[in-house]
Amino acid sequence: MAGFHVQAGSTAPPGLIKGKVLGRDNLPLEGVSVIITGTTTGTYTDAGGTYSLQVPGNARTLEFSFVGYSTLKVPINSRDEINVNLEFNIKVLEDYTVPSGYAAYRRSRSASASTTVTAEKIGQVPLTPDQVLQGRVPGLVVASGSGQPGQNAKLTLRGVGTITGNSNVLYVLDGVPIEYGFFQSINPSDIESITVLKDASAKSLYGSRGSNGVIVITSKKGRAGKVTFDYKSQYGFSNMSSPRFKMMNSAERMIFEEEIGLETGATAGPGWTYSKKNPAYALKTPGEQQRADFIIDSITHLNTDWRKFFFQTGKFLEQQVSASGGNENVRFYSSLNYYKQDGIAKRSGMQRFTLKNNLDFNVNKFSANINLSMGYSSSSFIESEGASSGMNPLSAVYYALPYEYPYFPNDTLVHSGNTSRFPVMDSREGSNALERLLNTSNKSNQFKTILSTSASYAIANGLVAKTKLGVDFRESLDEGFVNPDSYSGSRVSNGRKGSFSEGTRRNFSFISTSGLTYTKTIKDLHELEVSGLFEYNYNNYRAFNYTGYGIEGRLPLTPAGITAGSATNSFIPILGGSRTKSALASYMAFGRYTYNNKYTLNASYRYDGSSTVPESNRWHGFYSVGLNWEAKKESFLDNVNFISGLRLRTSYGKTASPFSRDFGYIATYASTTYGGNQGIRPLAPGNPDYDWEYAKEFNLGFDLNLFSTNRIRLIMDVYNKVTDNLFFNRPLSITSGFSESIINGGSVRNRGFEIDLQGDIIKNEKLTWTIGGNYSYNKNEVTDLAGTDQFENGYTGLVKVGLPLGTHYAPKWAGVDPATGNPLYYNKDGTTTTTYNAATLSVTGFGTYIPAITGGFNSSLSWKGLSINALFSFMDKVYRYNNEDYYNENPSFKTSNQSTRMLYDRWKKPGDIAILPKIAAARNYTSRDIYDASFIRFRNLNIGYSIPKQLTARIKGIRGIQVFVQAENLYTWTKWRGFDPENGNEYARFSYPSPRTYTGGLNVNF
Amino acid sequence: MIINYYNKARYTLLIFSLFIFSCKKAIDLTPSDTIDATKAYRNLSDINLGLIGSYAVLGTSDITNNSLVSDECMLPAENTTGGNVATHRWQYDGSNGTVTAAFSENYIAINRINEALNAIDVVPSAGLEMELKERYRGELLALRAYCHFELIRNFASKYETGALGVPYMEVHEVGSPSRLSFEATIAKVKADLGTAKALIPASFTDKTRITKNAISAMQARVALYEKNWNDAITYSTEAINLVPLATKVQFPDIWKDKTEAEVFWKLKRATSTDGLLGSFYFNTNNIVLYAPAFKLVNLYDKINDIRFNSYIRVDNTRGAGKATNIVAKYVGGGSTLNLADIKLYRTGELYLIRAEAYAETNKLAEAAADINVLRAARITGYTAQTFASQADLIAAIYSERFKELAFEGHRFFDLRRRNYPVMREAADAINALGAVLLNPTQAQFSFPLPDSEIKVNKNMVQNPNY
Repeated sequence: MAGFHVQAGSTAPPGLIKGKVLGRDNLPLEGVSVIITGTTTGTYTDAGGTYSLQVPGNARTLEFSFVGYSTLKVPINSRDEINVNLEFNIKVLEDYTVPSGYAAYRRSRSASASTTVTAEKIGQVPLTPDQVLQGRVPGLVVASGSGQPGQNAKLTLRGVGTITGNSNVLYVLDGVPIEYGFFQSINPSDIESITVLKDASAKSLYGSRGSNGVIVITSKKGRAGKVTFDYKSQYGFSNMSSPRFKMMNSAERMIFEEEIGLETGATAGPGWTYSKKNPAYALKTPGEQQRADFIIDSITHLNTDWRKFFFQTGKFLEQQVSASGGNENVRFYSSLNYYKQDGIAKRSGMQRFTLKNNLDFNVNKFSANINLSMGYSSSSFIESEGASSGMNPLSAVYYALPYEYPYFPNDTLVHSGNTSRFPVMDSREGSNALERLLNTSNKSNQFKTILSTSASYAIANGLVAKTKLGVDFRESLDEGFVNPDSYSGSRVSNGRKGSFSEGTRRNFSFISTSGLTYTKTIKDLHELEVSGLFEYNYNNYRAFNYTGYGIEGRLPLTPAGITAGSATNSFIPILGGSRTKSALASYMAFGRYTYNNKYTLNASYRYDGSSTVPESNRWHGFYSVGLNWEAKKESFLDNVNFISGLRLRTSYGKTASPFSRDFGYIATYASTTYGGNQGIRPLAPGNPDYDWEYAKEFNLGFDLNLFSTNRIRLIMDVYNKVTDNLFFNRPLSITSGFSESIINGGSVRNRGFEIDLQGDIIKNEKLTWTIGGNYSYNKNEVTDLAGTDQFENGYTGLVKVGLPLGTHYAPKWAGVDPATGNPLYYNKDGTTTTTYNAATLSVTGFGTYIPAITGGFNSSLSWKGLSINALFSFMDKVYRYNNEDYYNENPSFKTSNQSTRMLYDRWKKPGDIAILPKIAAARNYTSRDIYDASFIRFRNLNIGYSIPKQLTARIKGIRGIQVFVQAENLYTWTKWRGFDPENGNEYARFSYPSPRTYTGGLNVNF
Repeated sequence: MIINYYNKARYTLLIFSLFIFSCKKAIDLTPSDTIDATKAYRNLSDINLGLIGSYAVLGTSDITNNSLVSDECMLPAENTTGGNVATHRWQYDGSNGTVTAAFSENYIAINRINEALNAIDVVPSAGLEMELKERYRGELLALRAYCHFELIRNFASKYETGALGVPYMEVHEVGSPSRLSFEATIAKVKADLGTAKALIPASFTDKTRITKNAISAMQARVALYEKNWNDAITYSTEAINLVPLATKVQFPDIWKDKTEAEVFWKLKRATSTDGLLGSFYFNTNNIVLYAPAFKLVNLYDKINDIRFNSYIRVDNTRGAGKATNIVAKYVGGGSTLNLADIKLYRTGELYLIRAEAYAETNKLAEAAADINVLRAARITGYTAQTFASQADLIAAIYSERFKELAFEGHRFFDLRRRNYPVMREAADAINALGAVLLNPTQAQFSFPLPDSEIKVNKNMVQNPNY
């Protein structure tokens, strides 16, 4: 970020201006920047809100700016004291600085389409920083994916522009690009703002890494003035939101098992084995018959609530102290935070410790800063999340039979390993999963350090040399344990005596950026800012893991418990690991020219060379141009009072996205084994023409404020992004030995619009009520596939020219034949067939899992010290494969519990009009399994109250106290039948749902 | 000040240019975890590594799929995993990954073989190495024949002249090959086996790889599927003479990998990560996933037939509702459950091949003699039997194959060889929801080719009725 230096190079006779800046509630504001318009000369206000500044004689106006307040320009008019009152205007932020990691242009001088989310929306919510963005940023799709504490969200900006390549957004913290998907150890409370850069003019500064969008995170900085302390504390709990499908209870299950027996003769459980209607019943002795009747009766009246065994109410706790202070030369911000969140599934949870230290200093022509974030998080996970396996408690809770109870009266857990001692009538699916849950562990600790340091030196008037070094270091330590003295331990195939595994994954990346920036203002009419930089990025990843066997039960959870392997004891440990690295070198030039405060040109060029592409395509240039027109400043709008602000922006540029793999272009062999002997095998066919995916993007937008009080604020953008040279896996005939080869070719287009509208319904001294919303629409279309006609991709998808990515491809379900109970499928000619053939019957027309419409709406009300904020988010035109139904409504799994539809809506006799076919029919994947996953979610409700100053003033040293309660994920309106419409990806399969979380807490300012 | 400014700018530029020179090198990185394909084959020992890599692909889907779709296994109630239940019930088509697995498995192996064959004449070799090189070439060719023959067994529309065979890949090629006829595929299999047999010296006896003896056994089985009865007699006789039947003492130890008696070739399984076949039947969760069919169990003389206790374990203590018969053939003899080598060719099968060939060529006495020799080797106190007719002999041979080769990947293919339907007994179908009869006229009587191949390769024809 471009800072400014204090009192440098004035040429006219100086004059000293003093004054005081007041903010909300007429309290002095500290840390307000006061600068002479058109220069970089300025200062900050102190704790009392006062400032003093030496101004050259030719200075005309002073600018006062502070985050969350409207910037104010005040003519000097030869005064030596200027006192101002800044207007609190957190929603407008209309001329705030847009950080981009390289250049920081104010919004009035930037062509960029970007959205900034500020601290007060981030810090309090019990989520990771990426999850917080849902519903707040037009054009950004945030899918929570998993609700398990310690998991990250999946973010997609302005549509997916790749088939098999990388669609991850680039995150930059204080100028350092940080690893995607590892935010567990970052404390959201340390974040001052998150800016999402959406168009080419901002993204192209990142060249080959920018096309998926850039999220620039700026951490809190110290403010000059007396040292202040803040203490934050919140407590809460989470529980499960309820899925919309119902499983059978014991009585229903008895009927179901009996029906299956009668219809097919197959045994689905004791409901048939002991049924009166079973032909075997008549052959039993009267005593046996009595016993059978007793069994049926007692089973029918036993209903186990499996949620009690697998779920919990998760506790939540957060404590933070932070301090900030300094003077004109040195300022600091420090914080310590502890955060603990239990999951809603037993055993899952996360705790986190973070430390943040930011230091800024400036002396004469030199300024520098050091930003240090250190975090340690410790997460405990459930097993097999997202798997259909019974080890996943989220699937076991549904599979488990209602008449199965896990414990014997003497509190012994009865599992498949001891049923010979404790005979049971069921298959112990639930109990085995519970035994597993209790006797295994799956943990991951993460240590993360992000360090950035930068220095700048004003070589001459307007010319600044800058250098920046950044390090992003992460070490994850994974640990898995299976108790050797348990049934699970006896199931470990290597030696049947438990296992202990441990692994480290270490990612290190280093960035160095150096260069010059030149700034010049001529006659208050021409502003010029140009920079030239060289940058080098290096990334190094290494992983190592082992699994040891034959665990000594008295030495659990440590490698010391492992028994050494031998040829005969089956305890030979398994070793694994990997290493990779990448490097990127870049030359960049970018600049801004503004004429008369009205017209701004932004331009950039970046020349990237990367180790991830073959030498022939290694170096490539990326560019952008953008224009900003402050239309309101034109004389013809001077008298149009209802338009209080109008700005037009447009940009065009070219970027690329990085590769998911470091050496994807090289034809390679890997090692393999046969019977203990080492061998080699071809791994990847390679591609000498491997190249970047190039995105060219056009953006046009405007910011419009209406009425003199800026009561209505509208930001709108339209864009067209074409990604060429698309990277995809072209399917091959397997007779070649490979099922696919990676090629570059084809194009995809994303075009759409984004609207952000905010309005003040009531705004007066005491009461402010604001409502607002954002809406974005993205139309995705594959426009070319390099000669390939179409191919299947992912789980259920088809990639075809003219269709959007993520298009579902399945045989079309035609219902159940009332006469025979057979499933019917549509042929392509519209007739129906009972013969399932995915190859010939599959068609499109069932939508795509990539949502076309996303957004959110919010309302906030503040009255005296009370504030109420509500946020809703939504997705529309999104369809997903509900894989959970495949397991819960499937004759293959008839011995596991099934949905009640298998009892009530199944075809049983000719003439039945049923949803599900007869029990003997094949269960095939069809359009029936694709459901509308659109939803509106009551994302967050926050009620806060600032205790009146009159009261707090009596307590010495306390500046203010705020109390709050909030609820996260309160309610979801959806047609989706599964757990959670936004978890998983193209298909949903027993993922961890987003919990509903309630917290309450207080902030105290000292 | 101006001078100062220029000095500093010059200084900065100097640093700048230093960066430029260094960065070209700084981004020139090479992978540490993979081998550059152009350096994969440097010498003859690399060819051996490639050959081992080809053996490494060979799996057991033949065996498990035969168990799933034939009448040799049943689905017990305790298998609540639902795994492969649809396949067991013959509800499969080209989108089913289970029955199509052998297609990609074998072509991936074939490609590895062809890549090694492509390099074998390029790598330097001299003197004593020449013999080794020819042995590797022989193994590679025999393995290529084996893989294509496995493709035929799995995917030929029928085992008869004019039926659809599979493409025969002799070089690495990205293309859209079409299916050869059954007989044209068999001809190429035979040619590769013939060439290979001359290259592998008899002194090479590692039974975890293809030996000269194993090729005789392979030729016999190919002849059986080809219904080339004379060849079948020739090659099975050749093989039987090379490797005699195991004794009654040795026989149980074959399955515990304590002896290699009567084994021609087996796939070595060294650690639990090698893919354990036994886990398909009986897993470490103490769950019987697929149990021996009562139809099969009841065929054995449970007391005197040594095969019964070697193949099947009876356990009446597992609790109510649990399967009492458990496939024990692959539980292994060591401490790791299910760690057992996969026997691909045994002398027992060769006796039955020869018996069938004799019966078909009306040498009824010779056929009867082979059956009697085999039974005498397996059944204590067995007395030789006579057979009234050719039909009786064939029936006896089929029954004997069912017992002798249970869970070795033969039953379904044997039924296919003679267009016999798959018939399950009621006791074996209690959880199969009515799947008791698969007629040869049904599509599912031959395995489908994978949909993915049909879609990408316009010349590839699906098997009939899918």
